[in-house]
Amino acid sequence: MTAWQHDGKALAGAVVTVEAEAPALPAPAPAHATMDQVNLSFVPDVLVVPVHSTVQFPNSDVISHQVYSFSSARRFQLPLYRGKPYPPVTFDEPGVVTLGCNIHDNMLAYIVVTRAPYFGRTDAGGKWAVPNLPAGRFRLRLWHPLLNEPLEVERLIDAGAAEALVEIRLARPLRPAPLTGRPHSWDY
Amino acid sequence: MGLLTRKRAICLAAFLMGTQAQAAEWELALDVRAVSSDGRESFLDNGQGKLRFDDDHEGIQLGRLRAAWNQPLGEVFSAHVEASTWDDDDKNPIDLTEAYVEYRPYPRAGLRSRLRLGAFYPPMSLENRAIGWETPYTITPSAISSWIGEEIRTIGLEGQVDWLGTRLGHSFDLQLTAAVFGWNDPAGTMLSAHGFALHDRQTTLFGRVGAPQTNPEYAAKELFHEIDDRPGYYVGAQARYLDRAVLNLLHYDNRADPTVELPSIRDFAWLTRFDAAALRIETQNGWTAILQALDGSTYIAPGGYWLDWEFDSQSALVAKRVGAHMVAVRYDAFNVLFQHDPAASGSEDGHAWALAYSFDRGDHWRFAVEWLRVESDVPTRVELLGEPAFARESKLEFSARYLLSGSF
Repeated sequence: MTAWQHDGKALAGAVVTVEAEAPALPAPAPAHATMDQVNLSFVPDVLVVPVHSTVQFPNSDVISHQVYSFSSARRFQLPLYRGKPYPPVTFDEPGVVTLGCNIHDNMLAYIVVTRAPYFGRTDAGGKWAVPNLPAGRFRLRLWHPLLNEPLEVERLIDAGAAEALVEIRLARPLRPAPLTGRPHSWDY
Repeated sequence: MGLLTRKRAICLAAFLMGTQAQAAEWELALDVRAVSSDGRESFLDNGQGKLRFDDDHEGIQLGRLRAAWNQPLGEVFSAHVEASTWDDDDKNPIDLTEAYVEYRPYPRAGLRSRLRLGAFYPPMSLENRAIGWETPYTITPSAISSWIGEEIRTIGLEGQVDWLGTRLGHSFDLQLTAAVFGWNDPAGTMLSAHGFALHDRQTTLFGRVGAPQTNPEYAAKELFHEIDDRPGYYVGAQARYLDRAVLNLLHYDNRADPTVELPSIRDFAWLTRFDAAALRIETQNGWTAILQALDGSTYIAPGGYWLDWEFDSQSALVAKRVGAHMVAVRYDAFNVLFQHDPAASGSEDGHAWALAYSFDRGDHWRFAVEWLRVESDVPTRVELLGEPAFARESKLEFSARYLLSGSF
């Protein structure tokens, strides 16, 4: 598939999930992922994991963080002090979990928890592909943190023996990306 | 009040420090200036000059020596202390500018509350956003921020509620603020004595505005006293569009009884009320625009006779940041009207231009150079000093600041 922004530029970093409508496919195996804190930013900015996955939250900064989520898919709060490892957080419900830091308001990241057997993020060219998609009917969803329209873009795909090609172009421009290069010591 | 808060904070810190392995953070900053100035005798030396460094204070000067300490107390409490020395004729060689304990619980359902108890600045300046309540754009803040740093401090309790819309998929965040405070009844006295000034010197909690008062009949220039036992309040609101634009509104009323005098500092409780608005817009390619406006009044009523000063100021700043380099230009207009008469002693009308370049070298060094020109028409100068009412004061200032910070 290829995703385009409203202005025709490639949409990079979009989260794509493909769920089987018929026949049903088993959910993917849970993963063990990491969401780090580096130089007052979450790394990565977006993480996609299957349901029941665990995510470790280390803190690579010398200062403390207080990571929280009040998203319905997973509510938690985690004080991350330097050199003090915490047990990983398990994500059992599908949905978008928005992460913040209670000390540093400009820190923002997302964990997308999915039941879909196929998932990933578009590359710099807006492309993402599933090799060897079996024949069947699938629901493709696309999400991006700066999406300005419906929270998700959906397409139904009928995949046969031939390649199923999907092109998505956003109906509206993305929201402005977070500012970069502003000193962290400034008030947000 | 500030001292009490600090002592309490230190006790609480000692009690809680053993229980949690949290990082206390500290900062130490030395800011040295090289100044060329043709300013009139500074308001800090009881003159009517608008600049911190006048023509008697050229050459190498101490801009600020600052120490700050941030101590987490358990998970959701923290204590913050700011101390500074300005190397002038203040009462104390080193003194506090802020000292408070903050309660900041985790947000729930998109809402977060926050409480601060102690001595701190009201949330008003979108310009003074750097550590130590400094502006990163210029050396000298706007006339509005200069006045806040000189006369205003919340010594009391402030509560804030944030609606974190950007964490809920919206483009906006909202914030409401309310505070009750005391120990700031002299606020307004400096505005009536010398009007607005343009300077980066923040009055310390137990100090005074510069040199001791030479005229024994005049007020002692100490700002942080409770005089009438009536608490003041402010309420504010802030709206943000993503991390690009902030609009801040504040209504302030110290509810002072202007008939009450405190003989030990020869000053009254100044009934000071103002409204302040500020807008800051930032772009991805490094542009920043900040607009600020202040409109208020202050009164005293010695012997029941009301004296009335109305004041207002506006400021516009545009800055462009390229990597570690920044250029900023700012215009300020300011006005004080005594008894509705622009020619009265105590009235003034002025404006200022500032042009600054700054460069951050790594985490430790900041270099800045600023040209500042203030033009002001102050009838008091004729009556008090025998000087012309109009003054054009210019200053070229170079700043080198070394910052050390750490945690343990």
